[in-house]
Amino acid sequence: MHRIKAVVASPVAFSVLAGVVIGALFLVGTGADPVAAYEAVITGSLGADGIGSTLTTLTSVLGLALALAVPLRAGLINLGGDGQLVLGGMAAAVTGLYSPLPAPLTVVLSLLAGMAAGAGYAALAAVCENRFGVPLLVSSLLLSYPAASFASYLARYPLKEPGSSLPQTRQLPDGVALATFGSSTVTVGLLLVVVAAAAYWFTDRRTAFGYEMRMTGLNARFSAYAGVERKGLTLRLMAVSGALAGLVGAIGVLSFPYRFLDGSLTASGYTWTGLTAALLAAASPVGTVLASFFFAVLQVGGLSMERTTEVPRELTQVLQAIVIVFLAARLRFPQWWFNRRKEAV
Amino acid sequence: MTPPPPADMREAAVELRGITKRFPGTLANDAVDLTVSRGEIHALMGENGAGKSTLMSVLYGMERPDAGTVHVDGREVTFSDPGDAMAAGLGMVHQSFKLFDSLTVAENVVYAAEPRRFGLVDRGAARRRVRELAEEHGLAVDPDALVGDLPVGLRQRVEILKLLHRGARTLILDEPTAVLTPAEADALFAVLKSLAAQGRTVILVTHKLREVLEGSDNVTVLRDGRVVARLVTAETSAADIAAAMTGRAVELDRVHASGTPGATVLDVTDLATDGVRGVQLAVRAGEIVGIAGVAGNGQSELVEALAGLRPVTAGRVALLGDDITHASATERRARGLAYVPEDRHAVGTAPAASVADNLAMGHHRTSLSSRGLLPPTAVRGHAQRLIERFGIKASSPEVPASSLSGGNLQKLLIGRELAHDAPLLLVEQPTRGVDIGAVQNIHDQLIAYRDAGHAVLLVSAELSEIRGLADRVLVMYEGRVTASYDKAEADERTLGLAMAGGPAPTEVRD
Ligand SMILES: Nc1ncnc2c1ncn2[C@@H]1O[C@H](COP(=O)(O)OP(=O)(O)OP(=O)(O)O)[C@@H](O)[C@H]1O
Ligand SMILES: [Mg+2]
Repeated sequence: MHRIKAVVASPVAFSVLAGVVIGALFLVGTGADPVAAYEAVITGSLGADGIGSTLTTLTSVLGLALALAVPLRAGLINLGGDGQLVLGGMAAAVTGLYSPLPAPLTVVLSLLAGMAAGAGYAALAAVCENRFGVPLLVSSLLLSYPAASFASYLARYPLKEPGSSLPQTRQLPDGVALATFGSSTVTVGLLLVVVAAAAYWFTDRRTAFGYEMRMTGLNARFSAYAGVERKGLTLRLMAVSGALAGLVGAIGVLSFPYRFLDGSLTASGYTWTGLTAALLAAASPVGTVLASFFFAVLQVGGLSMERTTEVPRELTQVLQAIVIVFLAARLRFPQWWFNRRKEAV
Repeated sequence: MTPPPPADMREAAVELRGITKRFPGTLANDAVDLTVSRGEIHALMGENGAGKSTLMSVLYGMERPDAGTVHVDGREVTFSDPGDAMAAGLGMVHQSFKLFDSLTVAENVVYAAEPRRFGLVDRGAARRRVRELAEEHGLAVDPDALVGDLPVGLRQRVEILKLLHRGARTLILDEPTAVLTPAEADALFAVLKSLAAQGRTVILVTHKLREVLEGSDNVTVLRDGRVVARLVTAETSAADIAAAMTGRAVELDRVHASGTPGATVLDVTDLATDGVRGVQLAVRAGEIVGIAGVAGNGQSELVEALAGLRPVTAGRVALLGDDITHASATERRARGLAYVPEDRHAVGTAPAASVADNLAMGHHRTSLSSRGLLPPTAVRGHAQRLIERFGIKASSPEVPASSLSGGNLQKLLIGRELAHDAPLLLVEQPTRGVDIGAVQNIHDQLIAYRDAGHAVLLVSAELSEIRGLADRVLVMYEGRVTASYDKAEADERTLGLAMAGGPAPTEVRD
């Protein structure tokens, strides 16, 4: 009984449920059949035809959700995911194109280069806060734009594929690519991201560093009082965050079409989807995975719903928006609950 | 004080019948009956976690009882939120005030019940209203002052004015004097008595026996969620109440024997920081040095500077002979400092985290972890040991710290910091909001800590606490240490005079 109550009262479940119900009302209002529409979303994303696409989307969404969740767990927001993602992709492309090593080693090196580029760039935002007092929210966001422009410049001029009309690099040499599962588009990148999620869970629950991260997120003054060095924590969390974003960029470049195409990494707005997923889950490791999966299903399922029913795929965006609104309302929830207890003491 | 007429002669303002409230793992209220007559000041007492705040939350519509009924003015009522309770003439002053610091007194008082003119808030009327109310009830306060600039005692007046503005006939105050200076507390009781004389009713939750004896008409004592005694104040004594609360005889205001001081542990020369100048002090191993003073004379700033949470602007601080003047909080802790801060919600704990996580803080890099790993079993075991050793009432180590009662949260903090076994312990207001039995326990722990050869710097607003524990007493006044006494010289009168800074007391008084 208590368990059931707790789950229903859980704000995440509540937001999602509310989104689904309100979405259904929308559908009824426009004369569409909500059951058919939702069925199309589910079969389109989880059926045999859709699952591959869903898992590919999940790779990016989950990777970026983790990138944003890691600092968020300590109450820090990294708004520079796009810049770190793009730099990671560009670093991987350059490494892939010019590495003298055999292909399998080049793949590993490209992934590492992507992570290093993202990490270094995100760490720069942390340094801006630690040394110069620029709030992380601002420094990370502002640094994002020059990074994207720089990569764009490289793809348009020095590294541009000769003869192509597109702002893209040459294709990576044969074999410099992530292995795929069977004939699908799902790469081992998914595995890497899942491993990252597991590592995040482990750090969060089982390490002293994860403990400091959680306590800082719950009460920064408390952790400062107890001697947790905030600056060091910020720097390390941002580096990890940037590394994860860079990894997603590298995975993108090492998958079809095996090159850096300007704008393609950021076009789907996965950084924002990832941020939403991380917020929805309050950055908890398991919750972040579930929320990312939920959003990947909505994105892929929405497309297929549009194809098979009359309902435009914007409905899934409405759904997402409703969930976000409820989530925003919920962000005040723990605070409110806490105040109430405090008064009662 | 004249004894009140028997309860059945007067109309009951509030009556709780058979209130039962259960939380997971805790029976917070167990068939509690409480009747409070109109015009009465009724004290509600009990150990930490006895269920006082829970009972008041039920009365005020913040918690729903699992069983039992609430009657106001003879009618049965069901409140679904505090708004309903207010409409029925109840008003509650919470321990942490709920005021807007950036608004004026008048704006705070009328908030959510503003006088209107042409649909807009009528500021002139609001100001007049506050003046009238203040005059009528002897609650002098400037309606145009910003609440953020007021001392705690005056903020509390604003809270009371707010309730009176909304026409509250029954006032509930949960530990109202925990944060007040003795003079502010006296002023509060004068106000409460005049309110009662006008026929309003006051329910007061407090741990301070002196206040109850001087200020209340009747006392109800809770233990483990049940009413164990209903006493008429005029016919009872401090010892009786204490015995009812704890179920055993309690020795009140004990003065502990002096320690045997050894080598100097903390040595402070000419220290200055915000609001603190030229502080000179030393604490030796096996010694408790107490800092007395009216709140706001630099004690908190001094302790924060010593803990590394506030920059030192001049002077020198040495811990065990090493210069730590500019060391970070982290380094200081590593060198042997533990600290119990005054504000346990905002600084001393993460209320949303579990009891176990809160108890692990500071131990998570030392005794509990190896090679960076922090096994949950170690955290849990550590929590269980401290819960046992310090008698913290928590239904499990996994519940959030915010679900602990006020006094138990304080025990958690003290237990965690004592467990560091650090050569120097800084402790501020160790027994604020703690019941008398637990006060004794905490005092014994601090004395044992001293006798184990540690140095303790104690800041407290309770003179009896300073006198009972400290081997030496320093008095702070306007940011300086203005006097120093040995245990034997430090009587209440001498300290009181020194705290007032000599000639004129600077207290806010009517
Ligand atoms: N929301 C809650 N969830 C779980 N347990 C709770 C909750 N609120 C109160 N409790 C438990 O109920 C018991 C009574 O708590 P309450 O706050 O009423 O005590 P109290 O008498 O006010 O103590 P104190 O003097 O320390 O403030 C405690 O054991 C407390 O841990
Ligand atoms: Mg209480």
